[in-house]
Amino acid sequence: MKGSLRNGSLWNGCLWLAWRQQRVLVSVGAAVLVAVAAIAAYSRSGMLDDLGSGLFDHCDAGPIHCTRPDTGVPLLLDIEPLQYLGALNIALPVIIGVFWGAPLLGRDRELGTHRMVLTQGVSRGQWFASRFALAAATTVALSGLLAGVFAWWWRPAADRSYGLFWYETTALSGSGPRAVAAALFGLAAGTLLGLLARRVLEAMALTLLVTGAMMLVLEWTHRMRLLVPPHSYISAGGVPKAPMGEKWSAGHYGLITASGRRDDVMNCPFPSGAQLNECMDRHGYVARFYEANPAGDYWTFQWIDTAVLGGLALLLTALTVLLLRRRV
Amino acid sequence: MTGPDAPAALRATGLGFRYRKRGGWALRDCEFTVPSGRITALVGRNGAGKSTLLHLAGGLLRADSGEIRVLDAAPGTPEARARVAVLTQDKPLYPRFTVADTLRMGEKLNSSWDRAAAERTVREGGIPLTARVGELSPGQRTRVALALALGKRPELLLLDEPMADLDPVARGEIMAALMAEAADRGMSILLSSHVLPELEQTCDWVLLLRNGRIELSEDAYALRESHAMLTGHADQADTLAARHTVVHRRTGGRQLTALVRQHGPLHGDWHVERPKLEDILIGYLQDDDMVRSVAAERTEAAA
Repeated sequence: MKGSLRNGSLWNGCLWLAWRQQRVLVSVGAAVLVAVAAIAAYSRSGMLDDLGSGLFDHCDAGPIHCTRPDTGVPLLLDIEPLQYLGALNIALPVIIGVFWGAPLLGRDRELGTHRMVLTQGVSRGQWFASRFALAAATTVALSGLLAGVFAWWWRPAADRSYGLFWYETTALSGSGPRAVAAALFGLAAGTLLGLLARRVLEAMALTLLVTGAMMLVLEWTHRMRLLVPPHSYISAGGVPKAPMGEKWSAGHYGLITASGRRDDVMNCPFPSGAQLNECMDRHGYVARFYEANPAGDYWTFQWIDTAVLGGLALLLTALTVLLLRRRV
Repeated sequence: MTGPDAPAALRATGLGFRYRKRGGWALRDCEFTVPSGRITALVGRNGAGKSTLLHLAGGLLRADSGEIRVLDAAPGTPEARARVAVLTQDKPLYPRFTVADTLRMGEKLNSSWDRAAAERTVREGGIPLTARVGELSPGQRTRVALALALGKRPELLLLDEPMADLDPVARGEIMAALMAEAADRGMSILLSSHVLPELEQTCDWVLLLRNGRIELSEDAYALRESHAMLTGHADQADTLAARHTVVHRRTGGRQLTALVRQHGPLHGDWHVERPKLEDILIGYLQDDDMVRSVAAERTEAAA
C-alpha cells in the first residue's frame, strides 16, 4: 500500500517535470490553435454571408466553375485562408517531429541530464512514459482540434466548384483522422531519432527529412491511386457519360470493345453525336468509360492513411521503448 | 546501519563491462567488497574504468558479465534508486531551471527528501535560490548537483570526480560537509579522484583500478601499515623481491628506491620510511606490466 502510494507520487513528480519542460511548447500550440480558430470564425462567417447573398444559387454541382450571369467572371468563394490551414495541417507532423519529438529525449541525451533524472527515484519507464504521454496527448489535442476547425470551416464550401473539393490536397491530407495520425507519426519519428542521433540538431534534420519524405510518399500514393484504386464508370454506346460531378477523375478516358478490351479515348476523339457513333461502329467499340474515385472514397483515403501513419507511429514508439534501455 | 551485520556498500562478483559487443573490456573480472560506512577512494589512471564502475553501481549501465550490488540491492531497482545517490562527472543539470526549481525537482522525483539539507548545501555556497543553473559557475553547479544528491538522504553516495571544478577553499568546505554527513548518518561514500593528497585525510578504504581490473580493495590504514618505502644498495634488489612484493622500484646509479608490500620482517641494509597513502597509490598506478616483467626477467637472470 505504502509502496504504491510512493510510486504514485513519483508518477506525479515525473509529470511535473514533463510539464515543466514542455509547458512552453504546449502554450505555443494553444496560442496557434486560438489564432487559427479566430481566423476561421471570421473567415467562415464571411463565407456564409457570400453564400447567403444568393449569388451562388444557380451553380450546379460539379467541377466546372459557374460564372457571374452579367459579366461571365468565374464565381469563387474566398477559400485561400482555408487552404492555408490545410497546408498547416499537412506540415504539422514535420513541425511537431522537429521541434517536439527530436528534443524530447535528444535534449537530455545531449546535455547528459537523463543521467541526473534517472539516478533520482524514478525509473526509465516512468521518465519516458510521462514525457511522451504529455507530448502525445498535446499532439492529439492540437492536431485533432485543427482538423476539426478545418472540417467546420470547410463544410459550407465542400465539394462545390466555387469552394474546395474533397480530393484537393489541402482537404484530403489536411483534414480528418489522418491529420491526427500524421502528427503522432511525426512525434514518434522525432522521438526515436532524438534517441538515435548524437545531437539534437542532427536529430531535427533527420526528422525533417524522414517526416517530410513520408508526407510526400503519401501524396504520391494519393495521386497514383495506389492504395485506393478508382472505379470505372461505363456508359453503353454513344449514351452521354455520367457527369463527373464531385468525383476525382483519374484522368483515364477510353473506349471498350465487345470483347472488353480498353482503348485510349483518342481513337475516337469526338464528344458525342453522329461522328462519335460512326467512329465507334467502325472500330467495334460498344461503350465508353472513365475512371474516377467517388466522393465517398474520401473516407477510404482517410482511414488507409490513418492506419498506415498510426501503425508506423506505434511501431516507432515500440522501437523507442526497446532501445531506451540500451541507449539511455 | 554500520556494524558487522550491515550489508556491504558495494559488492562485485566477476563484474565485466564493455561498451561495444565486440569491443575491449572496460572492466573485467572485478571482485571486491566495500563494507558500509566507509569513505572509499576510487583511484585509477585515465581510462582505467572508474567512471564505468560508478555508472554500473548507479544503475546507468548494465553489467555484461557478473554482477554488482549496492547495499545488497541490484542497481537501477526502485530500492537501490531510493537509497543510492549518484553524481556523475559532468554534473548534468537543466541549465534553464533555477536553483529552486532544481531542488523542487529533487523533491518531486524522490520518495524521501530532506529539503533543509539540500537548501543548506546550496546556501553554504552563497548561491541564491533564484539564480538560473546555466548562469552559475562550474563550482556552484557542482554544489547544486551535490545538494540534489544529499537531499535524497542516500545511504550510499557515488561521486565521480566531484572536486574537479572547485577552488581549494570550496573543496575543503564541501569535503567537510560530506564528512559530517557521513559521520552523522553513517552514509557510505565512494568517490573517484585524481587529487591523491586530499584522499589521504578523508578516505578509509581504497579501491584501485588498473586497466579495467581491481588491483586493490583494502582498508587505508592496513594498506599504510603493510607497505614500506625502502632506499638502499641496488645489490639487495633480488633478495628483497624474493621475500616481499615489490610494487614499484626506481634505480638511480647504485641506489634503489622501492615500494614494497611487506610479508614479514625486513632483512638487509635499508633505509625504511612509512609511505603516505599517496605514495602507495602512485606506486601502484605507476607500476605497469612492462616494469613488472622486466623485474621478473632480472630475477630469473640473477637466479
